[in-house]
Amino acid sequence: MREQICKLVAEKLPELAGVVALRQTAVGTAPYLFREGDDLSQLVLEPRYPLPSVVSMLQKRYPEARFGVVARGCDARALVEMAKRNQIDPERLYLVGFTCSAEQAAECYCAAPAPDTAGWPQAMVVGVPVAGAPPNPLVAQYEEMSLAERRAFWQQQFAKCIKCYGCRNICPECFCEACALEDPLWVEAGMLAPPFPMFHLVRAMHMASRCVACRQCELVCPAHIPLTVLYDLMRRDIGELLGYEPGADIAAAPPLSLTLADGMVHGQDQLL
Amino acid sequence: MTDTFEPKIVAFLCNWCSYAGADNAGVARMPSPANVLPIRVMCSGRVSPEMVLRAFRSGADGVLVLGCHIGDCHYISGNHRTIKRMPLLHNLLSYVGIHPDRFRLDWVSSAEAPRFAQVTQEFVEAVRALGPLAEDGW
Ligand code: SF4
Ligand code: SF4
Ligand code: FES
Repeated sequence: MREQICKLVAEKLPELAGVVALRQTAVGTAPYLFREGDDLSQLVLEPRYPLPSVVSMLQKRYPEARFGVVARGCDARALVEMAKRNQIDPERLYLVGFTCSAEQAAECYCAAPAPDTAGWPQAMVVGVPVAGAPPNPLVAQYEEMSLAERRAFWQQQFAKCIKCYGCRNICPECFCEACALEDPLWVEAGMLAPPFPMFHLVRAMHMASRCVACRQCELVCPAHIPLTVLYDLMRRDIGELLGYEPGADIAAAPPLSLTLADGMVHGQDQLL
Repeated sequence: MTDTFEPKIVAFLCNWCSYAGADNAGVARMPSPANVLPIRVMCSGRVSPEMVLRAFRSGADGVLVLGCHIGDCHYISGNHRTIKRMPLLHNLLSYVGIHPDRFRLDWVSSAEAPRFAQVTQEFVEAVRALGPLAEDGW
């Protein structure tokens, strides 16, 4: 897999300003812009890292340049949602996609471990796509939980939060310059754990129609809060209510900014 | 204790329909509950999820969002956003254990003073039955 990717990157490099990928050296692994002539033996695929945010930063800094990126399924989904919100320009991006292993997909409860290149201007996927993994069992269990149990569960979880902003910082879909989580109007400063419901529910609402289930937030959280349980429930609701799957279709407009003429709402007949 | 409990209700009312409806209910001297603290907004589409959450954080036992009926919004499609956004918030609240009856989105036109009185009364009674939000431990 890695060899195939390096071969493709080497082929594409002459026509690109560089390819964003992970580089491993003696001091560690970090995102890197590989340019023509660079040592591609240093290009690695692990660990999972939110490269889409790096792509966005580079494209904004170099508004004419065309870059490439080595991306797995979740990265491609993240790029799709970023494109819709003017955070990246797909016309100036070559997607070198690859598919995660079945084990990795299971670990992430990932439904789509390989990038979907449909509608993507320039893309190529290396490797045989593996099937999607089953969803997080906690999400299914949720239906069985009473309100009091849900409350007890999240009170215990949110009490652990040290408000490090790691979940926000790592998220490819968190890119606003002014963040509501830093605004004392919505999140009181100087209180730990952040008082319910502001911090966590504000973030959960902001992720509705954007969260692409990359699980980076959960991976990075030092308090091990299972954040994506909430976000997965929101993803499910977005599907049922608005018929939208974040990260799936680059041509579909974000539903919360549409009028009813451009996209219906389901299951709300009493209000229509 | 619960018999004396008076729920605190924050109601976001859009200027053009629901606030006028509330006004007319007052002018017509229709009994409507004193538990409701109205906050006038220009459109129900102005009500962000953060505003609803902050109302809960500030001690509301229940939050109402009332706007013009679909098709009657003064800004044509302002309430189209409301009807997409608020059901998501409603679900999210229930996912963390806040009873669904503590939040309600509905439409009340300026000509519907009796409806304003009815919706607010229903809502206050529903929240009264649930008791104070603080007792849920949030
Ligand atoms: S990463 Fe975890 S501990 Fe840090 S702010 Fe987010 S939820 Fe809280
Ligand atoms: S899983 Fe977490 S980091 Fe990934 S898009 Fe969703 S909220 Fe952001
Ligand atoms: S003006 Fe009343 S809902 Fe928009």
